[in-house]
Amino acid sequence: MAAPSSAMEAAALGPEELVCARGRNRKAVLCQRCGSRVLLPGAATFTRRELFLPAMKKKTALVANSDLEGDVLQDHWLVEDMFSFENVGFTKDVGNVKFLICADCEIGPIGWHCLDDKKSFYVALDRVSHE
Amino acid sequence: MEPGSGLQRRGPGFGGGGLGSAGVSPALSGPQARRRKQPPRPADFKLQVIIIGSRGVGKTSLMERFTDDTFCEACKSTVGVDFKIKTVELRGKKIRLQIWDTAGQERFNSITSAYYRSAKGIILVYDITKKETFDDLPKWMKMIDKYASEDAELLLVGNKLDCEVDREISRQQGEKFAQQITGMRFCEASAKDNFNVDEIFLKLVDDILKKMPLDVIRNELSNSILSLQPEPEIPPELPPPRPHVRCC
Repeated sequence: MAAPSSAMEAAALGPEELVCARGRNRKAVLCQRCGSRVLLPGAATFTRRELFLPAMKKKTALVANSDLEGDVLQDHWLVEDMFSFENVGFTKDVGNVKFLICADCEIGPIGWHCLDDKKSFYVALDRVSHE
Repeated sequence: MEPGSGLQRRGPGFGGGGLGSAGVSPALSGPQARRRKQPPRPADFKLQVIIIGSRGVGKTSLMERFTDDTFCEACKSTVGVDFKIKTVELRGKKIRLQIWDTAGQERFNSITSAYYRSAKGIILVYDITKKETFDDLPKWMKMIDKYASEDAELLLVGNKLDCEVDREISRQQGEKFAQQITGMRFCEASAKDNFNVDEIFLKLVDDILKKMPLDVIRNELSNSILSLQPEPEIPPELPPPRPHVRCC
């Protein structure tokens, strides 16, 4: 289970220009690559949690490398209902996790969802752009 | 047409989570809406759409804008995309589509009934350059007849319009097939050129909305017609994820 810090605490910790006083995203969340709209302003809450996301890579750069490279990311937008997303894709299950990807160009992972917690969908701030 | 007859039958699913009906009535529009305080306007509808058709007809590419080199290997080719949420706006309504691409499960009997049962829209795709994919259509229709809800909207798509020189199935043949089936619409598309692709989804949604009587629309505003959690009743016989061969 996620143990997200309170909205106020999150807002204090988060990048101020992105997080409003109520701990929500001030700006729209977009795909870094194709600009596809992932979340409207205010649709998510800033939260901190250490999550591992495989690296966003080009197909050609990977292939033989079975070691999964990636990053442990801290800052996320937390969404409780997947129908709050404007556009997003879900991978098939990897263990009990589904990764979130761009619905249009399918770059990713941009986020993380654990099947054990149906009300938590994380989008990593580092993996998206804000407008 | 059987307006909304199947709506009640549709499984209650999960209540649709946090998408309340607030914000639906005063139609927000323009820049004012954009500046308006959160929470953002929730979706008016949630609809599930499935894309079916024989192997290699380009089902997956109908959902994509790019078919390039840049997908994450780890999350795409080896794991595969399960479904997508996409938002369209039509006739003042904001509709969230949950789109299931059945690629990789093309054997007729391996696509499970669960996909069909919950679908409000079904996009049946064939490849205009491959006669066998057109010849398969009756088999797909059998699946639809057997499993899909009667009020599911059907759209037949002849894909790969960009390969006109290799065309084996004429536009008329496609039209004729669709005409034989009550309520089935038809169009040709090219996912490669993005020709008609957005229109396909809009067309389908438009048809679904048209079939709903106003009062149903009002009642359904807060209630998802269909709300699937990321793991719907996926039956055990679903094949394990595997890297699928992509066409074109």
